[in-house]
Amino acid sequence: MSRFFAKSDSESEESSSADEITPKATGTTFNKQALLLSDDEEDTKRVVRSAKDKRFEELTNFIKTIRNAMKIRDISKCLEEFEQLCRAFIKSKAIVDKEGVPQFYIRLLADLEDYLNQLWEDKEGKKKMNKNNAKALSTLRQKIRKYNRDFETEIASYKENPEQSAEEEEEKDDIGSGSSSESDDDDGVTAKSFMKKKPQEEEKAAPEASKFLKGAADEESESEDDDESEHWSSDSVGSGSESEDNEGTAASLAVVFLKKTQDGDKQSDRRRDDKKEDRKRRLKKKPTEEEGEEEGEAEEGGWEKVKGGVPLVKEKPKMFAKGTEINTAVVIKKLNEILQARGKKGTDRAAQIELLHSLAGISNENNLGEGILVKIKFNIIASLYDYNPNLAAFMKADMWKKCLDCIDELLDILFNNNNIFIGENIAEDSENLAVSDQPFRVRGCILTLVERMDEEFTKIMQNTDPHSQEYVDNLKDEGRVCGIIDRLLQYLETKGSTEEVCRVYLRRIMHTYYKFDYKAHRRSLGLQGETKSEQDQEESEGEDSAIIMDRLCKFIYAKDRTDRIRTCAILCHIYHHALHSRWYQARDLMLMSHLQDNIQHADPPVQILYNRTMVQLGICAFRQGMIKDAHNALLDIQSSGRAKELLGQGLLMRNMQERNAEQEKIEKRRQVPFHMHINLELLECVYLVSAMLLEIPYMAAHEFDARRRMISKQFHHQLRVGERQPLLGPPESMREHVVAASKAMKMGDWRTCHSFIINEKMNSKVWDLFPETQCVREMLVRKIQEESLRTYLFTYSSVYDSISMETLSEMFELELPTVHSIISKMIINEELMASLDQPTQTVVMHRTEPTSLQNMALQLAEKLGGLVENNERVFDLKQGVYGGYFNRDQKGGYQQKQGYQRGAPDQRGGYQQKQGYQRDQKGGYQQKQNYQRGGYRNQNQSSY
Amino acid sequence: MASRKDTPSGKTLDTPVKQIQIEGLVVMKIIKHYQEEGQGSEVVQGVLLGLVVEDRLEITNCFPFPQHTEDDADFDEVQYQMEMMRSLRHVNIDHLHVGWYQSTFYGSFVSRALLDSQFSYQHAIEESVVLIYDPIKTAQGSLCLKAYRLTPKLMEICKEKDFSSEGLKKASVGFEHMFEEVPIVIKNSHLISVLLWELEDKSTAADKHELLNLSSSSHLEKSLQMLMDRVDDMSQDIVKYNNHCRSLSKQQQQKHQYVQRRQQENAQRQSRGEPPLPEEDLSKMFKPPQPPPRMDTLLIASQINTYCQTIKEFTSQNLGKLFMAEALQGPSS
Repeated sequence: MSRFFAKSDSESEESSSADEITPKATGTTFNKQALLLSDDEEDTKRVVRSAKDKRFEELTNFIKTIRNAMKIRDISKCLEEFEQLCRAFIKSKAIVDKEGVPQFYIRLLADLEDYLNQLWEDKEGKKKMNKNNAKALSTLRQKIRKYNRDFETEIASYKENPEQSAEEEEEKDDIGSGSSSESDDDDGVTAKSFMKKKPQEEEKAAPEASKFLKGAADEESESEDDDESEHWSSDSVGSGSESEDNEGTAASLAVVFLKKTQDGDKQSDRRRDDKKEDRKRRLKKKPTEEEGEEEGEAEEGGWEKVKGGVPLVKEKPKMFAKGTEINTAVVIKKLNEILQARGKKGTDRAAQIELLHSLAGISNENNLGEGILVKIKFNIIASLYDYNPNLAAFMKADMWKKCLDCIDELLDILFNNNNIFIGENIAEDSENLAVSDQPFRVRGCILTLVERMDEEFTKIMQNTDPHSQEYVDNLKDEGRVCGIIDRLLQYLETKGSTEEVCRVYLRRIMHTYYKFDYKAHRRSLGLQGETKSEQDQEESEGEDSAIIMDRLCKFIYAKDRTDRIRTCAILCHIYHHALHSRWYQARDLMLMSHLQDNIQHADPPVQILYNRTMVQLGICAFRQGMIKDAHNALLDIQSSGRAKELLGQGLLMRNMQERNAEQEKIEKRRQVPFHMHINLELLECVYLVSAMLLEIPYMAAHEFDARRRMISKQFHHQLRVGERQPLLGPPESMREHVVAASKAMKMGDWRTCHSFIINEKMNSKVWDLFPETQCVREMLVRKIQEESLRTYLFTYSSVYDSISMETLSEMFELELPTVHSIISKMIINEELMASLDQPTQTVVMHRTEPTSLQNMALQLAEKLGGLVENNERVFDLKQGVYGGYFNRDQKGGYQQKQGYQRGAPDQRGGYQQKQGYQRDQKGGYQQKQNYQRGGYRNQNQSSY
Repeated sequence: MASRKDTPSGKTLDTPVKQIQIEGLVVMKIIKHYQEEGQGSEVVQGVLLGLVVEDRLEITNCFPFPQHTEDDADFDEVQYQMEMMRSLRHVNIDHLHVGWYQSTFYGSFVSRALLDSQFSYQHAIEESVVLIYDPIKTAQGSLCLKAYRLTPKLMEICKEKDFSSEGLKKASVGFEHMFEEVPIVIKNSHLISVLLWELEDKSTAADKHELLNLSSSSHLEKSLQMLMDRVDDMSQDIVKYNNHCRSLSKQQQQKHQYVQRRQQENAQRQSRGEPPLPEEDLSKMFKPPQPPPRMDTLLIASQINTYCQTIKEFTSQNLGKLFMAEALQGPSS
């Protein structure tokens, strides 16, 4: 409101006169106004406008004084002010360049020149003038002549048709007020009539005035600037007052408008016309865009006002003329009018939405048919999406609800009316909206709208605090979103092209893949003992998400032509399989898709999806007891240490050099909503436990290896951190538990290891997050037993001559066959130099393992080889290639020997080769994953 | 003994020390010192006292250095030594400084620190020796005490402080010629000898079987480990040296090219009658890279040599023992 008052000074007299009435205006209006204005978007724009306005304010102030001086024939004052005006004009040069020379300025120049010429001609008057004034007159005349030369064209055009241009109207007003001194009689009359009317219309005037105020305020709220704003404010005033006139009310503006009626006689007859026509006329006159906008504005203002207290029916006359027959053509025209303002700088989007709504209401009332309704609905939804100016902002809750409702309604209409064709490719002019025998043809794409809605939903979820009740409330809308997508899916299945069907399928998949289907899970558990036929029956009747996924995905695989949708569908499918522990399907799909090869070329959201899928795959493998697969799948995500970022579950704290605000925004937009997150602690725990199960036996087997490689750096890092601890307390965090368990396992103490991995704390932190907790725990215990047995054998085999398998099976609580199989496997893999003595059930150690001393000697030999090589290199350098301490052959011989030495360790144990083999085997997706990770990172980097 | 005339430090003896005669007391004191204060790889040190008789260095007494602790950083070693020697003089014990002793861990004693301190000793007191006591070998049944002196060649190099490869080459010092070992004789008084005889007579065979211990792997492992570490160091040093050589030769090449270019240009200018370009300081433009000090490498080599010697000794002894054991076992089985 304060803004309004501040502004009102800069307004012309009309508005200031309106100002007087403001106190009378009802409070409610003002509140509403304040609400409308309290749009942050507008706040930002206010700054810009004020700069412009200030300049023009300055100019208008000068002009005002000049006109006043003209009235009292104070030429010297005129001269003084004119000089100041010129200076001010130069100052505002920048804005003028941008906006064009303001009309009021031109007008003043023209008027002033005319006025001066008039004075000049009037010899008598000149004689009467005092000396100062006479001197000033001549100076000013010369000056203005010179000055006007720069604006010749503008002034000429202005003078040519002062009647036709809207400025002219305005100008006339001004002239009227300016030359009021000349036409005293008129003035007197108007004043009188005004005085007479005023008391009668007192009560009416108040609301009207407030309405007018509203209009003016609206005007201001727009980022309308320059002269035009001024014009328009007065223009809208004009229109407002005109309508008032219609009703026989005389507002305080009467002075001005009475003047105008006398001047602009043409308009007097039209005064009776409805507002719309008036607007149209002006549209013709000035088809600038600003104007149209302004029109809308002005009308909105007026219209909204009424809506405040008056029933809906009364609203109609505002939209259309009372007598107008409301038919399709008119409504479309109106719709286009409203839409023209869309996306413009000064448009009040909320009001526009309201307007569209009312238009929909009108068309509904008049039974204009579904076609037009659909058309309007499309536009309503589009404007709802447009409501937020920038991409990052998310929809407000009420907007969102409205949007959902609208889409629902739209779908209702589409379902109820089979004869509506909608499509993006229907040209604007080939639309058929009227009720006729032909089916409706409407331009627009419902799919795009729904997709946009889905995105908005994601945005809302991204921007809600995931730990608040609000998030839960928002999440409840997920059902509705899914419902809409489902309905759209049904609709498009009958009407849409395959391409569209693919798109909507993908949407459906996106809303399905991450959800664990508890119903199906329970069913499969419950039915295990029952007959097969029953199971089949249940499966067919229940909508298993797996079946849906399968159906949708297969359709996409078959029909989709864009790579992206297929990629996403495959990934989601894999994810869904993995989530439901269908490991082999998931793995096969992953391998068949060959996504690992080219995922690095995908866009970041797809890469994030890929990472999520990979992680889910790893966790699935873990649940199934495929420790190695689990480890390999998780390795890349975990080893980067940026799991959070790679999964799109949060941004890492980084300094601003690496990422500026813009990129941060982009990255934020990529984040996965909280309800789709994969638990990072679970992820890490799964990774570390699988690394432990792989690494500890490996470490035991390769204790003396000089060049042993780590399977998992991450795990080793955790171990080192654990060792660095000066005082080891009982483990607290998940990592500490794993480290403690690893230490126990290293000693072959599976019981302790077990108690560290599976206990209350770990259950609540990690294991209970799995759907089949019990199975996972059992699997884990068994794995721990087996791997501990292996570790024990590796570590202590040198101590034993032979060991009974029974003892081992007792020690590790494993059945004899299992022990037998594990040991056999170790022997076959040449990890354990031993043989099985069948009759006594014992393992007999061969002791062919090199002793530590021998190992050491071998290492030393290797090192010496390196040393000699280095030494020779020095020698080569000194002597050139030809000279030589050894001659060539000798050297070769020596190197051969070296080769032999180096070969020796390889021969000694098959397991080194095996290790290589393992590494090769690992290959598969791991290698490719490297690419992928690199890809994502590279992309990130390149975008930095 | 106190009447022995001082040999001024600057004077060179005609006959360097050829033999060292150690009192049993000194040996006992050194062993005791280690037993009480040294553990594991910690090293104990002390001062040897005695005098030179002709070409024989007689070490008659010693006293330990206190173990360094962090609390008394301001502990003055020299002050302590002087006080000790003065006190010993008061009770009429040999007080002439003739060297120092140090314990060792698996024969690792060749280090820069030892070289430096032995150099300063030998520089100040011509006849100084360093006694190396190996407690681990001793514990295995054979007393291991060795005396070393720096060779005159090495002394010269150390005096000049020229450890570049050229300097070492000029002096033709190899790792074999860094230290010279001086034979040691342990001398006891007759009474003690008698006592020892008597003790030996009384002792049972079981007390002596440590000598015949067949287990060797742990000792060997340890030695190998240390040897390996040294070899690693050596490799690094060589690589460093190699890089140096390469960069040096590269620079040489550049320099050569530059000079040639310069000459060509000058020739051209001369033909055109212009004055030749001014001479520039080539050494400034092509600063040779800092050569890596070779002394450390030399020391490492020497250390490796020592390790090898010990391992060789150890294994040959062990082999003997093994053969002996086999021979003993043979008839019985």
